[in-house]
This record gives sequence, C-alpha cells and structure tokens, in this order.
Amino acid sequence: MTFSQQKRASYWLLLSPGLLLFSAVIVFPVVFSFSLSFTTWSGYGFPKFMGFANYTKILADPIFQHSLRNNLLIVAISVFGQIPLGFLLAFMLHRRMVKGGEFYQTMIFLPITISPVVVALLWNQIFSASGLITAIVRRIYDDPRYVMTIFENRNLAILPILFVLLWMHTGTYMIIYLANLQKITPSVLEAAQIDGASESQMLGRIILPSMIGTIATTAILAISGSLKAFDLIFAMTGGGPAHFTEVIALYMYTNTFKYYKYGYGSAVSILIVLLAVGLILILQTISRRIERNYE
Amino acid sequence: MRTKQLLLTVFVSLLLFPSLVFSAGTKESAAKTTDDGVITLSVYHYLDQTDKTTAPNFAYLVEEFERKNPNIKLQFEYGYGESFHDKLQTLAVSGQLPDIILLYPGKRTSQVTSAGLVKDLRPYLQGHENEFADMAMQAQGEKGEIWELPEDISITSIMFTNNRLLKELGLSLPKTYAELLAQGPIIRKAGLIPLSIANKDAWPMQSCVAGMLLERTGGMEWFDKAIAGDARFDDQVVVDAMEIIKELTDKEMFSPGTNQLAYGQGLDDFVNERAVYFIDGGWTVNNMVGELTDEQKTYMSLESFPDVPNQKGKSLSVSATAGQGFGMNAKLSDKESEAAWKWIWFYSGPEGSAIRQRFGRLPAYNLSEPSDADPMIKKLISFAGNVPMGYVMDSVLGAEPIGTFNINLQNMMFGTMSPKQVAQELETMVEAIDRK
Repeated sequence: MTFSQQKRASYWLLLSPGLLLFSAVIVFPVVFSFSLSFTTWSGYGFPKFMGFANYTKILADPIFQHSLRNNLLIVAISVFGQIPLGFLLAFMLHRRMVKGGEFYQTMIFLPITISPVVVALLWNQIFSASGLITAIVRRIYDDPRYVMTIFENRNLAILPILFVLLWMHTGTYMIIYLANLQKITPSVLEAAQIDGASESQMLGRIILPSMIGTIATTAILAISGSLKAFDLIFAMTGGGPAHFTEVIALYMYTNTFKYYKYGYGSAVSILIVLLAVGLILILQTISRRIERNYE
Repeated sequence: MRTKQLLLTVFVSLLLFPSLVFSAGTKESAAKTTDDGVITLSVYHYLDQTDKTTAPNFAYLVEEFERKNPNIKLQFEYGYGESFHDKLQTLAVSGQLPDIILLYPGKRTSQVTSAGLVKDLRPYLQGHENEFADMAMQAQGEKGEIWELPEDISITSIMFTNNRLLKELGLSLPKTYAELLAQGPIIRKAGLIPLSIANKDAWPMQSCVAGMLLERTGGMEWFDKAIAGDARFDDQVVVDAMEIIKELTDKEMFSPGTNQLAYGQGLDDFVNERAVYFIDGGWTVNNMVGELTDEQKTYMSLESFPDVPNQKGKSLSVSATAGQGFGMNAKLSDKESEAAWKWIWFYSGPEGSAIRQRFGRLPAYNLSEPSDADPMIKKLISFAGNVPMGYVMDSVLGAEPIGTFNINLQNMMFGTMSPKQVAQELETMVEAIDRK
C-alpha cells in the first residue's frame, strides 16, 4: 500500500464512526421520510406507492392552507417582531439608555429559560375561558357568561399565540445582538460621538451595517424555528378550537400519529423543509443586496 | 474509477447500516424469569399519574396483586391522553410491544389488535363469559376475538343533576328537550350554567352528547345499519341530532366558551355548584366520590338527557361502551402468558373489579352492589341497571372520521359549518375509510 493509499484509508477509518452515526440519525430518516412521502402506509405491511397524490391532497386541504397561513404569521412575528424588538432592546441596553440595564436584560431573557409547556400553562391561565382576564371582566361587568371570543374567531385565534411567541423569544435575539454589539470597537463609536454624530446616526451608519450578517443569521434561525413551531401551540391550544390555531407541524402530527398516515405525514414534513429552504433563500438574496449597498 | 467504486460502496453501506440496525428483527418479548422462578412482565398502562384519585387507587390494585402473586413482578410504564396512543403506535411499529398492554375494544387501538400483535383471550376466558356484562363480551375482532378483557362499562352521557339548585330555582327534572330549553333563561338569570361541558379537547361533545342524540333520533337499528353501510350518516336523523347540539349552543345552554374549556372544568363547575346539569361519563363518579361533600352527595343525582322531538330511539337511553382493559403480547410463551393472564384476570375479574367498584367505577364483571359503597357509586350502579344503552361513536367509527367529526362539531357550534355539512362530511369520511 502506497503512502497516499494509506493516508486515504486512514481518513476513511477515522471518519467512518462519525459518518455511520450521521447516516443513522440524519441521512437514513431523511431518505426514508422522503421515500415514504410518495406512499400510503399505516405503519404495518408494505407501503403502497402513490406518486404525488399525498402532495396534491395536502396542498388542496383547507386545514393545511390555514395552518400554512398561521405559520407564515409566526414567521412574520418572528422576523418583523422579535428581531427588530430584540435589536432595539439590545441597542438601548448597550448604549445604556435605561437605568438598571442588567435587571431588564435578565427579565427580558427569562422567558426563554422556561419550558414551553410551562409558558403555555401560564398564558392559558391568563387567556382561557376560565382564566384571569375572563374572571376580571366577569367581575367588572357582573356578567358570568363573558368569555374572550378571540379564540373563537378563525382569523384572530392565532393572535394571543403570536403575542406569547413575541414575549417568549425576543430575549433570545436581544442576547445575540447584545453580544455582537459588544464586538463593535468602542473607539469607533466614541470617535463618531466626538464628531457630533447622534445616536440615530450611529445606529444607521455604524451599528446596523456591521450587524447585517448577524441579523441575516438570526432571521434564518427565526424562519426555520417558526416553521417548526409545535410545542407551545400544542400545549396551549392543541391547534384548536376547530383547527383555528393549527400550524403545519401540528397538522403533520395529527395525520401521522392520530390517523396513522405515515406517508401523508412524511409529505407534510418534506413540504416544511422545502418551505424553509425557499424562505431562507429569499432572505439570503435580500441580505446580500443590502450588504452590497453598504459595501 | 477505484475511488468512485470505493465511494459508492461506502455510500451504499452507510444507507444499509441503519436499516440493518433498526430493522434487524424484533425481540420475542421483554418478559424475564429469574432463577428463583419470579417472572417479570412489562406493562403499558393508560394512567394520569398526577390524578390524585385514580393513581393511588391503581397503585393499591397493583400492590394487592403482587402481594397475592409474589412470583410475578410487573414493571409499569404509563402514558396518558394522546401521548399514550402515540407511544403505543411507536412501540407496536418498532416491534417492542410490552408483555401486557392496555387496549380498547373498538377502533381506538385497532391498529395494534388487527395487526395480530396481541393474543385472543377467549381460550383463557372460557367458562367465565357469563360473569361479565353482555356488552363486555361482544366480539372485538373480525373472527369474534376478545383482545382485551374490559375493566368497566363506560356510560359516556350521564346528565349529572344538582337537585338542590333545581329546587331553589323552582324547577324540576325536564322530561322533554323543550322543557330543558325552557329552563335555560331561568338558570342563566340566576348566574348559573345550565349544562356544564368542557369541549376544548373536541371529543366530549361527540362522546358524551352526539352519540346519545344519534341513538335518540335514529334508534339502534338505524345505527347498526349506518355502521354496516345500509344507512347513511348524512340521513335526516343525523342532521336532527346535529341541530339539537347547534340549538343548545345558540341558546347558551352549554358552559360559556365551552370550546375553550379544558376537560375537567365541566366537573369543577358542577362540583362547585356553578352548574345545574353536567354532561360527562360515568368515570367522573370516581372523582366525585372524593370531591363532593357528604351533604352534596345527597342531592346530586344521575339522570338521562330528556326525550328529543321525533325520537325513534329509546327514552332515557345513554351511549355506552365496554371500557378498555388489558391484553397480552402475542409473542409471550405459555408460562409468561399464564402469568400475564393472572394479572388480567385479577384486574378485570372478581377481585380487582370489587376493589375498583369501591373506588367509584362500574366494573364489566357482574357484582352485587356493595352495602358499604359511597352513595355516588350506588347511584351509578342503580343508574346503569335502569337505562337502555346505545353506541359511543368513537368506539364504532375509525380515528380519522371521528377526529374530523369532533372538529366539525366545534365548527358547527361556531357557525362555520351547518348541521347538514357536518353530517355529509361524516358520511364521506366513513364511506372512504371505515367501509372500504
């Protein structure tokens, strides 16, 4: 065996445990799920090939369409809510615009340390028909039959969940931005200040341009996380009532595990991946254009 | 060329490796026998371990069994709600089904029973059939198999009534649906809930109300025909039943925000006397035993929903089904099966049933009424003996048609679907999935 052959063999030998593990936990499930998405299978027997039937059925299903709409709203609240708010809070804390910054930093970050199930139970105690808001309004108006009707409206039922997601995840982005803001050389900001730049000028001309990469990365995280949204909604409403707060991951769960439609569920999961990749590609194109503008 | 071949070989090996690892056959069973003859059996049970009533009661049963059978050790794993069914499905598909499994008599766990993964209990049960309620001995498999030995008879549509409140409001138990509706404004004016029910989980309205109403509007003969495909679930009798639910909603008879209320809130409102009537299953008596005061137990009664217009079914009928029970893994050896049967028989047979009856359950095993039982249990036993019983929809229809129907009932209550549309979609789903 020549030296280069030995070298190649040793590479394979050293890589094989990792590759095998990666193959077992990543490659195999993905390939299996992708193959399954073209079949009908209840978990027993041999899957029956269906072609694109699962995909066409999913796309035509009004429940999937409503779930997709809810997911896109979650993406919107993440990208246009959590990220700007997280950035703004990080900027305010970094520039010491508020007193007791460390206290606020801890308070804003705290929700992300709580389990989503606990968060769901907590906010259910506030929003539910037997919860805090209902009890207060019933007492004030002396109306024992009062309930918040927002959850009973097909278009608005998702709003309280969006609010909870905003409350829960803004802290994560704030911490990421705060860490990155600390990387900006203080002398650059000081120099700008000496030259008479206002806070908004420093934000627009120095801070934002240097944070474009971070913002794009967090936006990718926000999009992929939003499309996977499951735990909080499952614990808070279970997608109900009447699928009003359903998201794609819940739709996939119901079809796969409640109705034992493994092929159908796999097709939904593939659609989630495609959707995430599509949105991320759009985002990357936009962020590249912005970066070019600043170059 | 060689590099290409090598790469291809590695890639194929990588793809095959997990398949070999994850599908390399299934273990025979998890049961173990030690040298001193102690058999350990794994058991998968449906139990909310945080339930202050059910969990300790079940622990007591297990203790009693192990005290009487020191050679059998049971290792429990618990699931509750949908996660129980998710895990059961995963265990079944991966060939890791425990030795003893809690199963349902109808469609709920048919994916496991119809796949031949559990044993038919008839050979073990032989000679004891008459000791159980007829409903519990109905065939569970296509060839008459009994996959699980039902622990209880579950009556799912009892109208629990607070007679003290009724009397205070100058009302009496309604005999007809119209009388019930007429009581609504009086009860609401007093700041109370006419009919307490919590339907956030979507199944209570189907399981506790819709099935019972279908028996009333269509009768059992129609119900049997519809299941067999000789009648349709969009027949007028179904629309009539749906219209009753819609009217009860529109006339504010149910708990306010019922579709937002988590299961348990209905009982809470009734126990705290915020509701005059409460519709739920007989299993809630289990909780009422501990939660109602002795005084409350004197004026709380168990009733049937009043007669509905154009009723074809029986007056006072309720929906009921043989409850779940334990079955055993088809892969158990004779010795292990014998040990598993000992637990199954203990649990659903005379000993366990007597214990569970004292805890507030309605066992499928025929027992005489215990003189020292809690008053609510006595009321449940008496009620069960005096009412005609119809089907519970989710025990006779498949998971997907029922799942969709449950959600459609909520849609109908919100006004986003009509009673006719709900009936039509049910028929479409049953025809496409259950009758194919």
